[in-house]
Amino acid sequence: MAKKQNSLKPQTSAVVKLSKADHAFSIGVDIIMAFFLIVIAIPLWSTIMLSLRPSTFIGSYLQGMVLPPWKWSFAAYRSLLGNNGFLLAFWNSVRILIGGVACALVLNIPLAYGLSVRGLPGKKWLTILIVIPYVFNVGMVPTYIMVAKFGLTNHLASVYLPVAINTYNLLIMRSFFEGIPNELRESASIDGCNEVQTLIRIILPLSKAIILTIGLFYGVNFWNNYFNPMLYLSKDYLRPLPILLRNILIGASMNEFVEARAFSDAPVEAIKAASVFMSAIPMVIAYPFIQKYFTKGTLLGSVKG
Amino acid sequence: MKLNRKALVLATALAAVGSFAFAQGSSESAGSKTTQDAGPVHVTLWYPATQTEVGPLPNDWVGYQIIKDKFNIELEAQTLPSGTQDQDVKIQAAAAADDLPDMFTAGREVWLRLANNGMLADVTDLYARMPNRTQLMFDDGAKKYTTLNGRNYGFATPAAVSRNEGLVIRKDWLDKLGLEVPKTTDDLLKVLHAFTYDDPDGNGKNDTYGYGAFVETNNYEAYPGRRLEPLMGAFGVEGTWNMTKADFGLQINKPEFYDFMVFMKQIIDDGVIDPNWMAYKKDDFRGAWKQGKFGCFREQNSALHSENNYAPFDANFPNGDIIVIDPVTGPSGKASVGPAVRNMRVWCISAKAAEQGKAEKIADLFEWMSYGEGYMLCGFGREGVEYTLDANGNPQSVPGDKGYNGPVGQTYIQLRNMAFNYTSDMELASRYPSYTTKVSGKHMSSLETLHNMQGRKWTDAVGMESMPVPSTDLKTFYEQGLAEFFSGKRELTKDNWNAFVKQFNDMGGKAWEEEGRKYAEANGLLK
Amino acid sequence: MEQQNFKVKKNMWKEVKRFSSVYALIVIPVIFYIVMKYTPLWNAQIAFRDFKSVRYGIVGSPFVGMKNFSEFFHSYYFWPLIRNTLMYSFGKLLISLPLSIVLAITIYECRHRWLSKTVQTLAYLPHFLSWVIMYGILLALLAPGDGVVNDLIKLAGGKPVDFLTNSTAFPWIVILSDAWKEMGWSAIIFIAALMGIDVSLFEAAMVEGASSWQRVKYITLPSIRPVIVTVLLLKIGTIMEAGFNQIFMLYSPAVYNVGDIIDTWVYRQGLLDGRFGLATAAGLFKGVIGMLLVFTSNYFSKKVTENSLF
Repeated sequence: MAKKQNSLKPQTSAVVKLSKADHAFSIGVDIIMAFFLIVIAIPLWSTIMLSLRPSTFIGSYLQGMVLPPWKWSFAAYRSLLGNNGFLLAFWNSVRILIGGVACALVLNIPLAYGLSVRGLPGKKWLTILIVIPYVFNVGMVPTYIMVAKFGLTNHLASVYLPVAINTYNLLIMRSFFEGIPNELRESASIDGCNEVQTLIRIILPLSKAIILTIGLFYGVNFWNNYFNPMLYLSKDYLRPLPILLRNILIGASMNEFVEARAFSDAPVEAIKAASVFMSAIPMVIAYPFIQKYFTKGTLLGSVKG
Repeated sequence: MKLNRKALVLATALAAVGSFAFAQGSSESAGSKTTQDAGPVHVTLWYPATQTEVGPLPNDWVGYQIIKDKFNIELEAQTLPSGTQDQDVKIQAAAAADDLPDMFTAGREVWLRLANNGMLADVTDLYARMPNRTQLMFDDGAKKYTTLNGRNYGFATPAAVSRNEGLVIRKDWLDKLGLEVPKTTDDLLKVLHAFTYDDPDGNGKNDTYGYGAFVETNNYEAYPGRRLEPLMGAFGVEGTWNMTKADFGLQINKPEFYDFMVFMKQIIDDGVIDPNWMAYKKDDFRGAWKQGKFGCFREQNSALHSENNYAPFDANFPNGDIIVIDPVTGPSGKASVGPAVRNMRVWCISAKAAEQGKAEKIADLFEWMSYGEGYMLCGFGREGVEYTLDANGNPQSVPGDKGYNGPVGQTYIQLRNMAFNYTSDMELASRYPSYTTKVSGKHMSSLETLHNMQGRKWTDAVGMESMPVPSTDLKTFYEQGLAEFFSGKRELTKDNWNAFVKQFNDMGGKAWEEEGRKYAEANGLLK
Repeated sequence: MEQQNFKVKKNMWKEVKRFSSVYALIVIPVIFYIVMKYTPLWNAQIAFRDFKSVRYGIVGSPFVGMKNFSEFFHSYYFWPLIRNTLMYSFGKLLISLPLSIVLAITIYECRHRWLSKTVQTLAYLPHFLSWVIMYGILLALLAPGDGVVNDLIKLAGGKPVDFLTNSTAFPWIVILSDAWKEMGWSAIIFIAALMGIDVSLFEAAMVEGASSWQRVKYITLPSIRPVIVTVLLLKIGTIMEAGFNQIFMLYSPAVYNVGDIIDTWVYRQGLLDGRFGLATAAGLFKGVIGMLLVFTSNYFSKKVTENSLF
């Protein structure tokens, strides 16, 4: 690995001269990549500029996208971060995030692993049992009735427990576990490992990337969940960030008391745009760490070799 | 082996955190004890916040202690979601799961369904416990608003200042182009043309439009909705219904509605209405007039002229001037800003709370909030802290963050909706103080704007807000049909229009109209 | 015969015993899953009842048979709703899924590390733009009055198009804007899968003189096929959900004919109107369709690709 790595794909040590077709392929990849970069950058850039837009801005959207720095206004960020309830809501969100992701991983990893074991009797029926509720999305009220019956309303756990096992994430994790060569598991069991030991010693070290990715999926979902807290958390001091963001947004636009827009001199669009970055916080923090594991994808091969 | 131990420690830690998170949350949910002689009565309240963005009523609000001392009530106030649709969904879902609080507020349609489903307490006898509030707010109309089978299942209180919108125009544009204030639809058309094509802002670009709007509908202002009511009013088809004795019926069934459609179509085809009107949402619309995109529209007094809202426009156009004008007159001499209704909100006591014997307590509390100490505390805060009294005895916000118009002070008046009557001069004066604009230094008062708007020609349509609503499919058909005539997907001819109206009536429009007639007659709403 | 049967049973029991530690591992998650997912499914019987509130009991509410279902089926807009729902979900599947796979593979193949790193780091971010924000961006690009695209059309001497309120353009706006927002996010899972590919395969292929394209075709794609199939089958299971949040934000009466989907209809008719029996019935109907599609596609996938969900 001392050699400079050019693409994410691990380079081979074999020195093979690139053919013309390979060059063409590589250029094609670059072009597609550039296209993606532009397409992705446009909304991101325009959202950033929108969040910095002062309330006195006049002009077309295009002019807004090239707003010079001396016209930037940070009022939108001030009104979000300076909100009385911001710290509390942020803390509630963090509690939901940590509790939710911990629960989700503790539940999902063993289940996904169990379902990936080859030859497990009843596996097919278990999987069907798991797919049925995923397809039958029966909606809000049947779930609310359950949450209320279990006495979960006004507990932060109500936000994540009903969705702590997401079938989509679970089965994706399973299909990754299935990709781990069977010989590895068998050799472990020959060494006298039981299933828990196999899972911890063999599977988990090989699956860091996918476990972190799925954990991230859950985390982002819990972090940005608006609907469950809206329904289940009535006590004001339990409310997480998405509720606060919605309160700021709507409070700024539709209200009988429009005369008393409390403190923000930022235009509504700017607040909307700035709130996007609030909802991306866990992702922005966690993704670089996960990317570290993404580039170490050679792990599987090296263990095997 | 080393890895194994590490992983085990990690897993244990995760599980521990998980169980910690599981156990957290509120621990004092045992508060819903029924009335006991010794302990205070616990009352949960779901209320619509005055300002959702500043945060909930703080725990150290003095009112909590006063309420406890006075009524032996342990009040727990919880804010409803900020959007009305979310409120409706939350309340109805909570009702389905039998998870309603003791007291809450709802719109009329939600109220009606909950009352029909037996989720609400019969409060007919509680009016007697609230003499002051009853005298202030509960006249016959308000009582009828919450009557079902001869009994009352909620208290209807005013929710907004009435007639607080108006047709407004850019006076500076008129002056620049040498035009008069338009009086008739023909004048208006000319002015809109000039606003669109004669560069009224003098920036040399063809970037302005005559009329501006967005689609804002409700059960008394059907598609295309509120912002176009002044144009509909010129043809006498403002509002969803015609509520007169002589001519009762759905406006869409009136021949004049076709005339309005023709007029509207002309405005669209001439390109003198901001073509984004079908795609705008409220924020976009308000952003657009502040950027000077159009010169004539319908807007609310304080969204237009109160200090915070006018400031961006003032900074952009120091010479700009938006004035309220009379609604334009149509060919048959009709004119109206739109239907004027009573905006009401229903306060409900859940059947569960009544069973637990909390209804009387709640009524006492509600009465306390309607006058004197409770009223001032909920509506304006504490004297000397959030407000001071001016020479006329009207409360004024203390300058700075702590005043009731500041971000800190506002949290202490979150229960304002429970106290306000929305009519008294004191409330209006305190809400709409006059000020001097920052950039242009003009003297402004949104209170004057309000009086100006209220004095224009409105259609008295009190009661229309409680008329029956159509089925979703019928409403979809109605809105889609009109939108397609506007967009040109259907050609607007007399034949096409009649065919559309006929199909609408066959689909259930006629039945809806008859249902409306019955309701209006039974409740004496016809004028 | 009986003995044989007994033998099979005994073998099975033996098998079960052999895997007992696996069962021990999954028993808690399975119970948790059943409690959290099947309780609501049990509560979903309100679809067959005139349900008002738990106050009167679920089983206590009068049984009305298929009344809620037939109200949905007999809606004037039933067929347009089905058509629109399928149009959006298939359209998104056909456009977004391939796009996200292409994105993942180009990130993987790109030889400029900075480029692939940058794209990988930015690609997921549009996922966090709520539809409220996306609407603002779309309005800025496409508004008939002053949208960027229409400004360009006008410059070129054309007539402005009302993209957002035009029933021909609207479906494309919906499908493409969804792909735009979500492709980077969906690509993450494929990138993760690509990272697990055994490098020795590439080495062997290079020694044998395979071109880049051949390596993509014969090594990269087949290696991530199980994940692609899993994602595809799972998406087919929820084919009746066409993206409520997006459409709810984008549509307007002018495009109801191509914009209204089952979920938006249910929101207006079922949830806002507090008719939860009806809303649940529509949910069950969607589930039945999804179930049929999952079983069928699972069957064919097993035959053709040897990958399947169950």
